[in-house]
Amino acid sequence: MAQALLEGTKLRLLFEAGIDDEGKPILKAKSFNNITKVATADQLSQAAQAIAVLCNDKLNKVERNDSSEILG
Amino acid sequence: MAKTLELQFGTEFGKTARITVDNPKEPIDGEVVKLSMAQIMASDIFTTASGRFVAAKGARVVERNVTDYELV
Repeated sequence: MAQALLEGTKLRLLFEAGIDDEGKPILKAKSFNNITKVATADQLSQAAQAIAVLCNDKLNKVERNDSSEILG
Repeated sequence: MAKTLELQFGTEFGKTARITVDNPKEPIDGEVVKLSMAQIMASDIFTTASGRFVAAKGARVVERNVTDYELV
């Protein structure tokens, strides 16, 4: 059976950088590397909020980006 | 004139790691930055080759100026 081995995690924050002509928000992504693989959703959310406080743009979404190596 | 806020953290093995935030809220409030950095450390999600973040070393705003020249 093939196995998936978690290789790395990234934290991706989506900020609203304005509104486009159609009234939809323009999203700007900011990615953070060096995230520990064992981070929980709570921890990620806490850090994301702490970072968002310092930013002028409104935080729209927080994403966790996992990449796995498939062995098989 | 793109401004970024650079947060400098001391890691477990004595190196410095940086997190940058685009479009920071100005004026920068030292207390808020300090609290945010404490919260980022408390969330414990960042891990670098030289260990986790253990100290808030400093913060600074970096401004980048780009001038376009027309080539004749």
